[in-house]
Amino acid sequence: MNTYVILRRSGWRSGAELEEAAGRSKQVADEQMPDDIRWIRSYVLEEGAGSVGTVCIYQASSPEAIRQHASLADLPVDEIIAVADTVIIRPDPEPAAAQ
Amino acid sequence: MALGVTGLLERSAELNALRDGVEIARTGPGGRLILLAGEAGIGKTALLREFREGAERERVIWGACDALHTPRPLGPLLDIAAAEGGRLAAAADDGASASVVVAALADDLRAHAPTILVLEDLHWADEATLDAVRLLARRLEDLPALVVVTYRDDAIDRTHPARVLVGELSGRAAVERIAVQPLSLDAVAELAEGQDVDVELLHQRTGGNPFFVTEALASGGTGVPETVRDAVLARAARLEEPARKLLDAVAVVPPAAELWLLEALAPNELGALESCLASGMLRVDQQAVAFRHEIARAAIEGALPLDHAVALHRIALVTLAAAPGRRPDHARLAHHAEMAGDADAVLEHAPAAAEWAARVGAHREAAAQFRRALRFAGGLAPARRAGLLDRHSYECYLTDRLPEALDSRRCALDEYRVAGDKLREGDSRRWLSRLSWFTGDGAAAESEAAAAIELLEELPPGRELAMAYSNMAQLRMLAADGAGTSEWGRRAIELAEALDETETLVHALNNVGTSELVEGLDGGAAKLERSLELALAGGLEEHVARAYTNLASTGIQLRDYSLADPSLRAGISYCRERDLDAWVHYMVGWQARSALEQGRWDEALEAAVAVLKTSAAAPPTRITALVVAGQLRARRGDPEVWELLDEALELARHTGEVQRLSPVAAARAEACWLAGEDDQIVRETEEALALAADVAHGWMSGELYVWRHRAGARDELDHELEEPFRLELRGNCEGAAAAWREIGCPYESALALTGAQNEKALRRSLAELQQLGARTAAQRVTRVLRERGVRDVRQGPRRSTRENPAGLTARQLDVLELVAEGLRNSEIAAQLFLSEKTVDHHVSAILQKLDARTRGEAVSKAVGLGITAR
Repeated sequence: MNTYVILRRSGWRSGAELEEAAGRSKQVADEQMPDDIRWIRSYVLEEGAGSVGTVCIYQASSPEAIRQHASLADLPVDEIIAVADTVIIRPDPEPAAAQ
Repeated sequence: MALGVTGLLERSAELNALRDGVEIARTGPGGRLILLAGEAGIGKTALLREFREGAERERVIWGACDALHTPRPLGPLLDIAAAEGGRLAAAADDGASASVVVAALADDLRAHAPTILVLEDLHWADEATLDAVRLLARRLEDLPALVVVTYRDDAIDRTHPARVLVGELSGRAAVERIAVQPLSLDAVAELAEGQDVDVELLHQRTGGNPFFVTEALASGGTGVPETVRDAVLARAARLEEPARKLLDAVAVVPPAAELWLLEALAPNELGALESCLASGMLRVDQQAVAFRHEIARAAIEGALPLDHAVALHRIALVTLAAAPGRRPDHARLAHHAEMAGDADAVLEHAPAAAEWAARVGAHREAAAQFRRALRFAGGLAPARRAGLLDRHSYECYLTDRLPEALDSRRCALDEYRVAGDKLREGDSRRWLSRLSWFTGDGAAAESEAAAAIELLEELPPGRELAMAYSNMAQLRMLAADGAGTSEWGRRAIELAEALDETETLVHALNNVGTSELVEGLDGGAAKLERSLELALAGGLEEHVARAYTNLASTGIQLRDYSLADPSLRAGISYCRERDLDAWVHYMVGWQARSALEQGRWDEALEAAVAVLKTSAAAPPTRITALVVAGQLRARRGDPEVWELLDEALELARHTGEVQRLSPVAAARAEACWLAGEDDQIVRETEEALALAADVAHGWMSGELYVWRHRAGARDELDHELEEPFRLELRGNCEGAAAAWREIGCPYESALALTGAQNEKALRRSLAELQQLGARTAAQRVTRVLRERGVRDVRQGPRRSTRENPAGLTARQLDVLELVAEGLRNSEIAAQLFLSEKTVDHHVSAILQKLDARTRGEAVSKAVGLGITAR
């Protein structure tokens, strides 16, 4: 498994729509592609006018696995970038929902 | 002890999933398949036993794969058939193939609804059993059954055939995968209650593995054994001498020792059976004694002194061979014969077991049994040894173990040479040529082909010589040498017709027909189709597959998709039905190519990934898939392009064939261009262009010339190129783009437009590239436009833009249009070249987005929203 960053800019018109997509994404990853896709985390982007996008961190067996996952879960993909290294300075801030 | 009476710890989620599966099987219409995964000792079997206890209203049938070095073909299914009796047992008799057994099993399942069918330990399964599971899964939609398949997910790496099967199955709708989890610290503490043991150390060292935990607790003492093997041996050491001897006897007979066999193996120790059962190390199941777990059996067997083990295997061999009233089980006998070091017995039983395995389609096991026989064949007469080597080589060839197939064929050749058998020597050379081609070694394929002909021409002409001619014709055809193909093919056809040798005739017609088709000669397609008809009529499966393959691959090389696509569909379906997997993979690779060229990129990706996941794929198959996947990565701007294209180049170079090197070079040139490294393009295309220009192949060389032209090179042409290339090289980019559209290649059309001078054409190119999701090429065109001072170039419409009211994607709109036309999902799948599962998924997404409960409601809402016109 390699680590990748996936950009999905302005993919959804609302947070609710994104939430639905996240459910499909997790389901496809865990049930249909458990050997090929591990969704690690995502940052939700404010894209203006209520629309949202994401920067996602995934582990995947190949870029093709990410494409297939996106197609099955109906998620947009703008760009897939391979991660060469990870530098962690501080842990992620508490997710908004948990505060 | 928390196992057994009080139920299992921490297994309620798994049990519920299994019970849900039974409910689905009961209510119908279709059944369910559950893949139960977990490491050895994690409690898969214990979970299923617990589940069986609770299943009072359903019939349960149960089979397990053996831990023999070479498993019995269809072992678990034959065991089930024997236990069930009746028509199933009759069907499974006499070396029936996986498909015959599965057909009988399906009838049986329909007659006993609902049934829980358990197949354990798939990681040890023979090939025929894996095929059977595959076939069973395909029929699941009308079987009232819950099928549970267990396997050790840590015992099957990515190349293991069971992993390939699991991968295929896990995407399906009726298939669920359950991973059995290790026990928590709390559960381990509960198991250890009342014992003086460091619970945290026990949990950490056993990793929460229930079998290890139980063995460690039963091994006595206060320490925690280092390994599960130590735990088992410590536990056994606490038993009395006769009980330990009985364990030894049971350990040499995997998976279970019949009581009558134990009477011979441990005549004085059978009295200790009770204490072994009471201690929980052994259990009795259907008149046979087995260890509670295979880990324990392997640990005890591994600790047996060699002389003692040999003596036990010798007794097992003699007793099994003399067992009255049963057909000899050659696979079992061969196992004990080898462990007893009895060469004569191995040479009697292993080849018999191999032939049986080959007959039922378990070619991997057949190869393993021949290999076993060969280990003991040192003393055989050369002719008999060579015969075993030939058979071993053939079984390895069928199962894509090419290095081994080559090795055995070479040894056989040496034997024939020593024996002075020129005919077989020549035929072996012809085989070496074919095998060398399959491994991608073009030079060896050529030299062996010539050597075979030279040897066989000294003898009276026979089928071996005809086949050697045809093999040479095939090599010339693959090298795109039309004149050579025609000359060698003519000799093969004349001799085959004189000898009335249909198979050789079919082979030769295929080679000549393919070559003529490539050259654009009139009779080519007719010859190929005659070859196909003869092969179909004669049931010559491999040749049918080759005919479809060559019709398809030639069609794609000529960009004639109306020839290629129907041949691919017919060929893939023919080969799938017969489990001719090597041909399926090869054609799926071409399907990926065809879809890519016609702009159906998601379909191309799906097909290419299916091939790349098949570890066994031969180099020619793999090259095609690597190139398609590499091109898609480059075009979409995905990472790791060169990993794929470098591997493709290495494999293609080894074949030396222009039909492999040319597409690889074109893909590499394109990747350079997309990355803005135009100065690399001439170097990347040099080698392939020399070959393509040499055979004057106007499609292959045209593609390479155009890439060089786009990079600024100005080559002298010495042969005619195909129209779109000709137009672009003359500077007529818009004409080239129109020609590509006519042919059906949208990406090529948009690329040709990138060379156009006027802004309007460039904008059209940009729009088409964005539509395809060709991010990098679109960026290049954007740059050109901006350099020309064009102001309002936008990164624009994303593929997933949600411009229509319900936010449907482009693909969902395609699907919706067809739903509105009243098509069923399978028809939509066929029309859009998607898998049915993907269509199912799109349809449910459409229903959800339109908030509709039925397809009809979705269509009427879509019409209301102005999404579809109806």
